[in-house]
Amino acid sequence: MIDAIRAYFKSNGFHEVETLKLLPQPSTEPFLEVFETQLKFADGSNYRAFLPTSPEFALKKLLAAGLGSCFEICKSFRNGEGRSSKHNPEFTILEWYHTPGDYRTVMDDTEKLFQAIYRAVFLKAKDLMLKYQGKTYNLSSPWERISVADAFQKYADIDLTTLLSKTALVSALTKKGYHTNKKTTWEEAFNQIMFNEIEPHLGQTKPTFLYDYPASQAALAQKKKSDPRFAERFELFLAGFELGNAFSELADAKEQRERCERDLEERRTLGKTVYGLDEDFIAALESGFPPTGGIAMGVDRIAALFADVPNIQDVLFFPIDDLFPPKNP
Amino acid sequence: MAMKAGNLQKGMFILFKNEPFEVTKAEFYAPGKGSAICRAKLKSLKTGNTQEFTYKSNDPVEELDVMAREMQYLYTDGPSIIFMDPRSYDQVSVPVKLLEDKMGYLIPELTMYVVFLDDKAIGVRFPQKVKLKVANAEDSVAGNTVSAAKKPVTLETGVEVYVPLFVKKGDTLIIDTTTGEYVSRG
Repeated sequence: MIDAIRAYFKSNGFHEVETLKLLPQPSTEPFLEVFETQLKFADGSNYRAFLPTSPEFALKKLLAAGLGSCFEICKSFRNGEGRSSKHNPEFTILEWYHTPGDYRTVMDDTEKLFQAIYRAVFLKAKDLMLKYQGKTYNLSSPWERISVADAFQKYADIDLTTLLSKTALVSALTKKGYHTNKKTTWEEAFNQIMFNEIEPHLGQTKPTFLYDYPASQAALAQKKKSDPRFAERFELFLAGFELGNAFSELADAKEQRERCERDLEERRTLGKTVYGLDEDFIAALESGFPPTGGIAMGVDRIAALFADVPNIQDVLFFPIDDLFPPKNP
Repeated sequence: MAMKAGNLQKGMFILFKNEPFEVTKAEFYAPGKGSAICRAKLKSLKTGNTQEFTYKSNDPVEELDVMAREMQYLYTDGPSIIFMDPRSYDQVSVPVKLLEDKMGYLIPELTMYVVFLDDKAIGVRFPQKVKLKVANAEDSVAGNTVSAAKKPVTLETGVEVYVPLFVKKGDTLIIDTTTGEYVSRG
């Protein structure tokens, strides 16, 4: 499968790169916890050092330097998560950046990539029907594409005005019988509806791209020029897995700095490990960033799908529960 | 008893939308995009139907005050499973629909814990492992396969389980009641 991924990108003009795994500053996502260690030199000097939660910032520095379309398959690390059938603290990530391009370019890449993997794994298959846990999913193009606003309307009966208003969304949540209180945030209400009423409908017969997230959920995505209330971001769903998260990459250094600083501030509020901003990353964007679409995908989840196993631990040689068995209280 | 969704565990009994449910699965994670959540699978004690719900970790959840009593399985009568308290000889019945996925582990005289809510039996906690005899097994030889070869056999209660090739009819096997998987020969 990894061979098929490499072959696909190499035959489509992407450079394969390998970026650093020991960083002075990791990326700034407010909700991800990092692994921290110490770098010591023989002269006694020492530094805080971190393992990456993804290779995103490093790859973007290469893009700003003019490398062109590129991809990396590597280990990434996320701390502080629960034991789960869909997560492992150390996991394999695939990131690729298509330039010139945007999130739609990446949607097209994704469809072709999965079809290439399917043909490499099932050599004799004449169709693109993926069998997984007793159900069949059609991987042929076009895949389902639905915007977040349309999905809220269709599956949760929540219109655009309600979706974008904090008070209206929280009161809709209360009306639906969820637990809310004065401290319930827009983000919590959005996620509760997303997880309980929208995601279960996505990727049920073929893969679904859920696109155009409200601007506050933009992360590192560009806002839509035609409607700045939304950002050019999509997530990919198939058979109960969230497989990837993609952006039309934000190129504006000033806005990127503001978002990163807001993220770091939120980390402080949430009690997460606190560190500084990767100034090198901002400087790289300042030097000029090409129009790019990029995505991060969980390779272990893709492997679980193609191997028809319910748990990503089943495709790992060294599952986390064997290495660090649960401690009974 | 009020608790936080972050402390949910498999096997707990809770109130969900004012109805009693058993938690059959609880997984936590901190997704990259938001605060920590708990994905739970809940089985209705009224209908036996299962549904999924995603809680925020700090959502309040009402845990039901249940009591467990050690009892023996006697027999199944239509829609009811009859258990008996080996000390008082009291008998209680548990609806089949609440135990459908576990019927294959009901062995006469096996001791297990029956869970009560307000004097009503609402569920059963099985021992982690049970011993069952193989009722039917075909002989087979390792074929051209990379992974460890397994074959399906039928146990005395009718359940099918995948086992290593050396298992024969009449063998006693130890089965994990949570996963339904073969553990070893008994």
